[in-house]
Amino acid sequence: MNDSATEATSSAGGTPNRAVSTVLHRLASQREYAVLALLIGTLGVVGAFNPSFLSGGNLRDMLVQDAPIVIAACGLTFVVLLGEIDISIGSSMGLLATALGLLCSPSHSALPVWIAVALTLLLGTSIGFLNGLMVTFGRMPSIIVTLGMLTVLSGVNLLLMNGKWITDLPQGLRYLGVGTLLHVPICLWAAAAAVICAVLLARETPLGRRIYAAGSNPDAARMAGLSVWKLKLFAFTLTGFLTAVATIVSVPRLSVIESGVGQGFELLVVTCVVVGGASISGGRGSVIGSALAALLLGLVRPMLIFLRLGVSATYWERAIEGAFILLAVLADHLARRTRKEPHR
Amino acid sequence: MGENGAGKSTLIKCLSGSVQHDGGTVEVDALCLPKGNIAAAEAAGIVALHQESTAFPHLGAIDNIFIGRELRRAPGLLDRPRMRREAQLLMERLGERIDVDRPLEDLSLAQRQMVGIARALSRRSRLLILDEPTASLSARETQTLFRILRQLQAEGVALLYISHRLEEVYALADRVTVLRDGRLVGTHAIADLGRDALVRMMVGRELLDQEESERGTADGEIMLEVRGLSRQGEFADITFSVRAGEIVGLAGLVGAGRTEVAAAIFGIERAEEGTVHVQGKPLSQGAVRASIASGVALVPEDRQHEGLILPLSVADNLLLSVINSLTRFGFRSRRKERASVEKSMRALSVKAAGPGVAVNTLSGGNQQKVSLGKWLATEPRILLLDEPTRGVDVGAKAEVYRLIRSLASEGMATLLISSDLPEVLALSDRILVMREGRLAGELSRSEATEEKILAFALPDGGDSRMETGRSAIPHDGNAAI
Amino acid sequence: MTTPIIDAEAVTVTKSRSGWAHRLTLPTRQECVLLGLLIGTLLLAGRLSPDFLTSRSQLELSTHVWELALLAIPMTLIILTAGIDLSVGSTMALCAVVFGIAVHAGLPPLVAALLSLLVGGGAGALNGIFVAKLRVHPLIVTLATLAAYRGIAEGISLGRPFSGFSDSFTFLGQGSILGFPVPGIVFLIVLAVAAVMIGGTPLGLSLSAIGFNETAARYSGLAVARIKLLLYTSSGLAAGMAALLFVARRNTAKADIGTGMELDVITAVVLGGTSIFGGRGRLFGTVLGVLLIHEVREFVSWQWNRDELNLVVVGTLLILSVLADSLLSPKKR
Repeated sequence: MNDSATEATSSAGGTPNRAVSTVLHRLASQREYAVLALLIGTLGVVGAFNPSFLSGGNLRDMLVQDAPIVIAACGLTFVVLLGEIDISIGSSMGLLATALGLLCSPSHSALPVWIAVALTLLLGTSIGFLNGLMVTFGRMPSIIVTLGMLTVLSGVNLLLMNGKWITDLPQGLRYLGVGTLLHVPICLWAAAAAVICAVLLARETPLGRRIYAAGSNPDAARMAGLSVWKLKLFAFTLTGFLTAVATIVSVPRLSVIESGVGQGFELLVVTCVVVGGASISGGRGSVIGSALAALLLGLVRPMLIFLRLGVSATYWERAIEGAFILLAVLADHLARRTRKEPHR
Repeated sequence: MGENGAGKSTLIKCLSGSVQHDGGTVEVDALCLPKGNIAAAEAAGIVALHQESTAFPHLGAIDNIFIGRELRRAPGLLDRPRMRREAQLLMERLGERIDVDRPLEDLSLAQRQMVGIARALSRRSRLLILDEPTASLSARETQTLFRILRQLQAEGVALLYISHRLEEVYALADRVTVLRDGRLVGTHAIADLGRDALVRMMVGRELLDQEESERGTADGEIMLEVRGLSRQGEFADITFSVRAGEIVGLAGLVGAGRTEVAAAIFGIERAEEGTVHVQGKPLSQGAVRASIASGVALVPEDRQHEGLILPLSVADNLLLSVINSLTRFGFRSRRKERASVEKSMRALSVKAAGPGVAVNTLSGGNQQKVSLGKWLATEPRILLLDEPTRGVDVGAKAEVYRLIRSLASEGMATLLISSDLPEVLALSDRILVMREGRLAGELSRSEATEEKILAFALPDGGDSRMETGRSAIPHDGNAAI
Repeated sequence: MTTPIIDAEAVTVTKSRSGWAHRLTLPTRQECVLLGLLIGTLLLAGRLSPDFLTSRSQLELSTHVWELALLAIPMTLIILTAGIDLSVGSTMALCAVVFGIAVHAGLPPLVAALLSLLVGGGAGALNGIFVAKLRVHPLIVTLATLAAYRGIAEGISLGRPFSGFSDSFTFLGQGSILGFPVPGIVFLIVLAVAAVMIGGTPLGLSLSAIGFNETAARYSGLAVARIKLLLYTSSGLAAGMAALLFVARRNTAKADIGTGMELDVITAVVLGGTSIFGGRGRLFGTVLGVLLIHEVREFVSWQWNRDELNLVVVGTLLILSVLADSLLSPKKR
């Protein structure tokens, strides 16, 4: 069905090159496939070099590392789809970790774990909601709002921690980080749930389609009767909530909580969303792409270790991450050139 | 009906609630609609297809048609299969076979327009408003649309059809309302109104002054020579030349590639094949500065986005194209700048409180004058004008015409792109017509008529005549005003 | 159509909106607010702690601000064109590490410093090529090089610190001429050059034009790509200078210097009234923004000895000042 329709339009378009550029465009616009191919390719190459890379244990460890990034990226994808950005995710995570630790550590508030978790979720959601409020009602650019929040939240975090560490995390909380359910770590369940919900939201609900529409052409969205501000408020709030989820399932894995938790996390998440195919000006992007990109970027460090390049190799991790984004950007540029689309 | 800038589009935006009106009321069934409330207008059965792009380029036809009132199978869940079926059905009814999942940005202009129409048709409407829906459609597609509109009419839907093509109005309408300069001129039953009377209502006077100037037309030096200019998907094999003192009109439908050709000559975009020569010397491709230096200037179509920088002052805008030449040892020379600005403002009689006011406080006509002045300041010998009177009031229009004529009489080689056929006919010495990216024909001043231009411009070839449904259209002077 | 609204002031400004005069006009609303805040902070500080306001302690404290101030100059110009450079902190680290390695490899400090500036300019030019020639969104490009440049710095230094530089070099960061710190002199020279370029040459108007409407700027024949390339390159160069000042001041070069610097710089510029959407902004505002951040920070540390508190203060300041501006202006953008 699809093929015949494509043919129909390509013949209607009249130019013979149209079919070729259509194929190229499909490959390029569906960044998911490119990222997936790269992911499988990397796994294959490193696995051939060192088979233990593909062992169940190692794969699981890598997935566990990626889980919080995947969860947060599910939220941020919607924000970026709307042409906005949230760079406060990292320091928000730091503050949430501190809050979680202080709330349930026996030497501080000593609340039951489930109450501490609920309060942390509430706090994360409120931070996202506040970001959303400032962007919509304050009519401020999101990069400024979340830059300010990044600074404020990390300051508050440092004040709360006061240079100390939280080491006495109760067993119940530790379970969220290290425990398993049906032999699968809790954080992987959470990540899978987040991805499935986000994909359903994006593809199968009016809300998701409206977010795409509002990012694609905000004026037209308003003319179609959509409340763009509500969509933005929702996306920021969702991101706040998912950041809290990411914190709850990843931080308890650490035996101590210190003020450095979450540092640089926002850049990782933004990177994943961008490498996953989202356009920073909105309208284009997918949850699956962001999640796959998170897995791909998560490969960099283990890959450097398993290729046995020596200790020094791991120092190049960030350089390789940066190169990944530049490559994604270059690929995008070349694809756009074949399509003759105006620059943006 | 009404001329460009008469206020038609803004009026329907008020009706459909996407713009808030300052005064007056909109009543449906004797109930007053709240101002600027899209939802209320939709609930009352008012559906509008606006002229500017209201499409979502990254989304497919399904989403474009159903966004805002999606079909659901359970609370919060879409019924995709049904939406797909209905979208396909709608598009087939409109005679288009497209992939309804394909992002709109990959479809042709006409196909996008059809999706927009499908979107308007998909709503349960009691009043359907269409703002120039046929601007980029072929005659065949237009006929399909008209057939459907007549069906709706028979089903009892009220239609408000905005157009500046007389033939369409005569083919569809029962009554016609004319606006001019934002005011109501009158409403008449179409049967009582002759073409000339209708044109008079729109223009407010007899047709545009046809002042014939006795210029030497074909003997000037060849200033601009374009040979085999091509760019994939936009235009192909464009060859023509313009002589000193000549005004060459470039006509065609919206989307025929005229603007793209002008942009390629000026160097905004690079052409893939072909050459441009200015006074016999080749012009380097894709270099605006080189074009300006060789005496080429382009007054772009969209003055708000391409021509002017609205938040900047009149003076800054007038300086922008020449600022690098008004320097002393690399530093800006206030004296030279002031002289240049004063000269431009005087030459074009720009009405502004002073050179320091921001351009966005000026009227459309004065903005256009600043836009013209900005490029005339580069002292060009070849002037590319893209829709120079769009959204300009009648008075300023006449001034712009006078200016174009007087520049030509001083030896300016002018390429005039316009969708306003009377304008092209009134100004041009020679008319080139583009269709789907190619030059379809050339007409001399003496042989050119609107029919002949349209015959070249319409995609279905020579048969430009539209089949008339109920009323017969006289076969003369079907103007697009 | 209606005739334009006649503004009595506008009629008399016939000669004021171009050239030098335009740049020397009265402070904008945002700048007045900043000036008020700055004076308020200083008055409060003077009351609470008279020692803080002495010229001696001010000069001593000023050593912390010069790198930030230096980087804020090109950042203002970049944001003026609706761009952004997130990679300045990482570029600083890269330049510092390159300098350290070069000196330890036996190169004379002067050559090493030139090499380090070259690397900075090259790093900036790479950003510029992606932004100007390939027309990729600057946020994406510099996000990538934010990771990449620091990654390279970590990679080539293997995380080791370099120290023990000669006195003639550390003079650059610690010395003073006629009582005025050398880094301050470097900053003032760069500021003067930038101010003359903006106010006196066509560059200033070109930057605003690009920021407001890049398409129209291209139609006007402005060399948009070349100007952007120049800006990002100069931002990289400034990062190189800042790196040298930092290394000379601390007498150590390590791959983690300048972490988070980009956010401080952007905060100062935006606080100074430069619109993140481009078009509007002045160097004067940026100088005020830098000064305000600096004084607030130093005072908070001085008075309460809590560095983390000033993060909260600066972040709140940024949000409130932009919020006030957006609520006071009648319409969105």
